[in-house]
Amino acid sequence: MNANADLHLARPDARDVADLVTRLTADYGERALTSRAVRDQHSHGEGLADAGLPDVVVFPHTNEEVAAIVRLCHAARVPVIAFGVGTSLEGHVAALYGGVCIDLSQMNRVLEVNADDLDCRVQAGVLREQLNAELKGTGLFFPIDPGANATIGGMAATRASGTNAVRYGTMRENVLGLTVVTPDGRIVRTGGRARKSSAGYDLTRLFVGAEGTLGVITEIQLRLYGVPEAISAAVCQFGTLEGAVQSVILAMQHGIPVARIELLDDVQMDACIRYSKLEGFEVKPTLFFEFHGSDAGVAEQAAQMQSITAEFGGSAFEWATKPEDRTRLWKARHAAYYAAKAMFAGKEVFATDACVPISRLADCVLETKADADATGLVAPIVGHVGDGNFHLCVLFDPGDPGERARAEGLAKRISLRAIAMGGTCTGEHGVGVHKLEALQAEHGEAVDLMRTIKRALDPHNIMNPGKTVPL
Amino acid sequence: MLDPAVHAQLAAILPPAALLTTVEETRPYECDGLTMYRELPAAVAIPDNEAQVVEILQRCHAARLPVVARGAGTSLSGGAMPDKRGLLLSMAKFRRIIAVDPLARTAVVQPGVRNLAITEAAAPHGLYYAPDPSSQIACTIGGNVAENAGGVHCLKYGLTVHNVHRVRAVLMTGEVVEFGGDSLDSAGYDLLALMTGSEGLLAVITEITVKLTPRPQTAQVALAAFDDVGAAGAAVAAVIGAGIVPAGLEMMDRKATRAVEEFVHASYPLDAAAVLLVETDGTPEEVAADMAEITRVLGEAGATGIRVSKDERERLLLWSGRKAAFPAIGRITPDYYCMDGTIPRKSLAKVLRRIEELSEQYGLRCANVFHAGDGNLHPLIMYDANVADESQRAEAFGAAILELCIEVGGTITGEHGVGIEKLPQMCVQFRPLELERFLGVKAAFDAHSLLNPGKGVPTLARCAEFGKMHVHHGQLPHPELPRF
Repeated sequence: MNANADLHLARPDARDVADLVTRLTADYGERALTSRAVRDQHSHGEGLADAGLPDVVVFPHTNEEVAAIVRLCHAARVPVIAFGVGTSLEGHVAALYGGVCIDLSQMNRVLEVNADDLDCRVQAGVLREQLNAELKGTGLFFPIDPGANATIGGMAATRASGTNAVRYGTMRENVLGLTVVTPDGRIVRTGGRARKSSAGYDLTRLFVGAEGTLGVITEIQLRLYGVPEAISAAVCQFGTLEGAVQSVILAMQHGIPVARIELLDDVQMDACIRYSKLEGFEVKPTLFFEFHGSDAGVAEQAAQMQSITAEFGGSAFEWATKPEDRTRLWKARHAAYYAAKAMFAGKEVFATDACVPISRLADCVLETKADADATGLVAPIVGHVGDGNFHLCVLFDPGDPGERARAEGLAKRISLRAIAMGGTCTGEHGVGVHKLEALQAEHGEAVDLMRTIKRALDPHNIMNPGKTVPL
Repeated sequence: MLDPAVHAQLAAILPPAALLTTVEETRPYECDGLTMYRELPAAVAIPDNEAQVVEILQRCHAARLPVVARGAGTSLSGGAMPDKRGLLLSMAKFRRIIAVDPLARTAVVQPGVRNLAITEAAAPHGLYYAPDPSSQIACTIGGNVAENAGGVHCLKYGLTVHNVHRVRAVLMTGEVVEFGGDSLDSAGYDLLALMTGSEGLLAVITEITVKLTPRPQTAQVALAAFDDVGAAGAAVAAVIGAGIVPAGLEMMDRKATRAVEEFVHASYPLDAAAVLLVETDGTPEEVAADMAEITRVLGEAGATGIRVSKDERERLLLWSGRKAAFPAIGRITPDYYCMDGTIPRKSLAKVLRRIEELSEQYGLRCANVFHAGDGNLHPLIMYDANVADESQRAEAFGAAILELCIEVGGTITGEHGVGIEKLPQMCVQFRPLELERFLGVKAAFDAHSLLNPGKGVPTLARCAEFGKMHVHHGQLPHPELPRF
């Protein structure tokens, strides 16, 4: 393997960048912006900010425009960073070496909906909630729900999952095909509308989760599902965190097809009750459930679930069958991050996630809780525990270096603990820049192979350099 | 003939009985399930542990000797056909089920374990391994991963790629790598998905963690008859469109049902132009609710008769016809050629009509038996290899079907893989740009292209020879990429 020095991209030559910016502003006019505010807004997601601003932000409208921009960057060896709406958490969009940020938010059309085949094709900038609004009336929906109203392109790039992955899978299972602009500015299509294919390597899944390091995703073919006949949601509260987690494990081992199971520990529940003004709930470890299916199926799943939670000291189910009640409940869950942030004015928060085999979930969550308590930091736990995935929002005082170090130490231990239990340092947020070390710990030798693939597909290392698999 | 120096090195790694070099010994390995293509390898190695695999690959890598890994040899696309210059690496001795974890619902197995053996090992825990290719009594899990095998139930339970958590493998250079992990997701590039379906071109698999699925409490199947193939195709779309995800949704046309009925007497309607088998599984309540909906939709879609299994015996009887379809066709024709295209479901009726026309055009009969729910066709082209030009006509007919699949937005292989059989159609389905990405991936894993060479992904030069690629002034893009 010859690791050429030029692969380790330093900042590109300032004059090349200036020429490129001039060219892009000439070509795209008001769709190429260089103001400090816009560049700053495009330098970070919702996680902690990293150093580096893009030199210019361009808003293309077509695959061909994206390809043209990337070709210019390729010629000048300037980094390309794809941007959706900036809801990522691990520094995915930070412009570590400057470069061109391609904001795909104006490529926001649903291109086709094939109701008979249960699939659709969308541009990368389509928002998750927008897609479901456009699907209304077709009897179909797109289930993947990471909480944030992210773009479909961003969700594909980070292999997002979310609250109902336990039933519907992650983006890995739900992206059928892609249009991708390659690092040399050409347009390739992967996968397609066929439900299965064993022709060639699975490039679709290679690009899904590559975090923009192998190409820019511009269109996505997605799998859709029929809206279930019946949906009902329930809340169950527990005396202990262990009781809540053990209930989840047993439910999964029994194969109850719950659509969502969310765990909120007492701290998170406290934050949510205050922030989302939930009434009738106690500050206790809590599970939110959602059941999908026929009327009979939903009733049956709920009854099975109740017999399990009762065994572990769960309260009677608090039901939400009306759509508006369900929405209120899930809104509160989705606002968990903001609720945590609102607990103490002046504290910063960062979210980290990990995922373990379901059989190790109790060990991992309980050890993590004890670890968090020992640091003296406030760190609520929330998670899609049905698939073994949980999150920690760590609050810290940005002005106190000791507190920051303790917070980072805690996050690192969570990654390593999950890996040691046969799990992963990230169930859905991705690697970005914040989890590079953990990726190495998780995959060892295989990271070299990822690097070789990165080199083969992006030999000049211009696609989101420094992230995921840095050269 | 194996180079004597390499032979000596391999003989130092393997006991004599595990290194075969004479024609009599290597003959059983000359082909896989695609018997049209045969080749004798220079030698066959039968290692029984990973350390031997590492050493064998290191030696072969140093000697630039091609290596073809093989499971049970049930592949239908020539994926396991030997390379005459190289080594055939049989994984048949990797037969251990290392662990079954009923709590995590996983099993750790070696690649030579048979698909059905995993289900048998998991059965005491009420679990099973969901992907069920028709050859599951014989085919190995290593081969399933290499081909991303499907089966009747993959409509609901997914393909191999959805049912594998982790793969341990040896690269051509001898490095041992692990892809995926024991949890739902894994950080970084999805190398596990790349390995799945890579047809032995990227690495040699030595250990696999598979997902196990709880055995459904009960299952019921409906057999629906249609007097028009198009109506049956439309009924498939109607069932899926109604939001039902059947555990299996299979279709057979009249030629297939008649052949089957004579063979297994499953009491299929002989006058129907096509029959559908629609299965649902789950708890008794779910099955009852789904079956009521399924029969309603089938009735509305114009089914002329619907029979729902009343008990397990009847369910198995109704399935016995479908499961026996291939041998049944084998009884009515000297040879048949099984195709494997996949199309968007809504094109089913159109494609079936076109196949009918092609059948007349090529003067060969064709029976259709397939996984209709996924749109995965398995046309069986009947011919007689002893009649002049029938083999060629069968091949041409098959190629025309695959190109038809691409034309309607489908793919040339749903589950059998490309192997050597479908290399020409790869040049039709993919543009040079996409093939370059494939070749780039291959080069990242296997820089000298020693693993299963000449299969899976055609070189750009080969596509040019087939006349499927426009080469301008003899300039191929990316001249630095390996070509053979």
